[in-house]
Amino acid sequence: MTAPATLPDFTPPPLLVVTGVEQSFGGVMALAGVSFQVPAGLIYAVIGPNGAGKTTLFNDLCGFYQPSAGSIRFDGHELCGLPPHRIAARGMARTFQNLQLFFNMTVVENVMVGCHLRARTGLLAVALRLPQVRREERQLRVWAREALELCDLAHRAEQPAGALPYGLMKRVEIARALAAKPRLLLLDEPAAGLNDTETLALRELIARIRASGVTVLLVEHNMPLVMNVSDRLLVLDYGSVLAEGTPAEIQADPRVIAAYLGGAVQYAV
Amino acid sequence: MRLAGFYAFAAFVALLPVLFRDNYFVTVVGASAGLHVILAVGLNLLMGYAGQISLGHAAFFGMGAYASAILTTRFAWPGLLAMAAGLLVAGAVAWLLARPILRLRGHYLAMATLGFGIIIHVIMVQAMRWTGGPDGLAGIPPLNLFGWTVEGDQQWYGVIAAAMLLAIWLSLNLVDSQVGRALRAVHGSEFAAQMMGVDTGRAKTQVFVVSALFAAFAGSLFAHQQAFVSPDSFNLIVSVELVTMVVLGGMASTFGAACGAIALTLLHQGLVVFEDYEMLIHGALLMAVMIFLPQGLFVGLSQGAQRLWVLAKRRWRSS
Repeated sequence: MTAPATLPDFTPPPLLVVTGVEQSFGGVMALAGVSFQVPAGLIYAVIGPNGAGKTTLFNDLCGFYQPSAGSIRFDGHELCGLPPHRIAARGMARTFQNLQLFFNMTVVENVMVGCHLRARTGLLAVALRLPQVRREERQLRVWAREALELCDLAHRAEQPAGALPYGLMKRVEIARALAAKPRLLLLDEPAAGLNDTETLALRELIARIRASGVTVLLVEHNMPLVMNVSDRLLVLDYGSVLAEGTPAEIQADPRVIAAYLGGAVQYAV
Repeated sequence: MRLAGFYAFAAFVALLPVLFRDNYFVTVVGASAGLHVILAVGLNLLMGYAGQISLGHAAFFGMGAYASAILTTRFAWPGLLAMAAGLLVAGAVAWLLARPILRLRGHYLAMATLGFGIIIHVIMVQAMRWTGGPDGLAGIPPLNLFGWTVEGDQQWYGVIAAAMLLAIWLSLNLVDSQVGRALRAVHGSEFAAQMMGVDTGRAKTQVFVVSALFAAFAGSLFAHQQAFVSPDSFNLIVSVELVTMVVLGGMASTFGAACGAIALTLLHQGLVVFEDYEMLIHGALLMAVMIFLPQGLFVGLSQGAQRLWVLAKRRWRSS
């Protein structure tokens, strides 16, 4: 593997190391031995046709599924076998392809749930409303506000989550995930259903998230967005890795062009 | 202010017996409504906030009542100690039951809790040696609170009102906290809640135990207030009525649940004059509320009042 041009001068240790992950559902192999590494500080995209196994891979990473075989190491720790909330505690957060907002809460409350791992007070203290609970409530609200401001949502904080337009709901999911202060953020098709203006704003937001020190793993179908924003790409096809490399390498790869991009299409914006 | 509604309600509850001295409706129906409020507010934490149904909640109510009844009559335990034992038993049973039962969802959870309620009811009827069987247990001594013996309707009203306000206060605190938000998150999207680091199994267990404790607390007070317990007070119908109170008042609102409990208690009292037609009218009224105020009495009526207020302000400005 040659060092890509976009990597910084030093090579950071990989934050996520996926080795030979397989996932079968009954007789269907959704993932047939996928291996890749995500260096810390990058925007890393996973692309592939529908049914290639992208969302299955995300669900394996975050513990919603247990891989049938293989290993997922995050910052040196094995994640396979851990339940989702334990994986979240290790510093991974995600958004969902189909919105999974808490529609029974306001925007800021949604994001405050994202701060759950940073909350400390227990059931009894909360029931009796001890002074430390009041302090913590204020602190959680400040943290939630910070995440909302990063996503340009502060003005919507007190509205019910269900009252927002679709594009903003997707942003609330990102803010909620960021409120957990993750080291790795998984974005599952963040641009799906967004218009061009919103997609452009999303591109800026993803860059801002990376600049704040969060590594981003992205599943996305919007090729202009992916090619512009990501440092490296992984191409999946039928549950296997077809190619891995920088956007330029991927666009020049004849296998990828044949299988996925369909002819000599160039995505330069 | 966060607790403004609570203080207003507390003032109302305190003023009632002053305004209506020795009034049967205040002291007897009011006390009964107060116990129902404790039960409904506890069940609402589980149903309204965490989104888990329980069709067997009368079982925990009964555990508190029978623990107090058996321990005070047969073993001469002091009332408060027996109450603590009842809370411990109900809490422990809820904790043991929570993991296997709260894995289930929707209809399956409803079935499992229904079965649990029926089993506990059968035990109350069949374990004659302990529970007195279908005839129940009589002669439960009055509750003694640190040297003060609670006697008479007036005093019971005070004790139950205080207990009810405590339950409401605890519920308001729980809901408006990270614990409460985690519960609502479980209701909104269990998967997303897990990804935010919420241990959903633990959260559901906690709220199940808390709601069982509320019910057992009410049960213990009920046993002392009535000085008598029998299985009829804790059967399936009671469980269903508790669910009705929560839904009628408005799910996911502490005051909604309280409102539903009070409304249903008053409805029973008010409809007694119709004798045979009581259940018919009762059912028709419930259907009407669900059709016209699907968010429940409390939420529906307060939203209506808000709309009227806005309308009135506009009229006043334009004139």
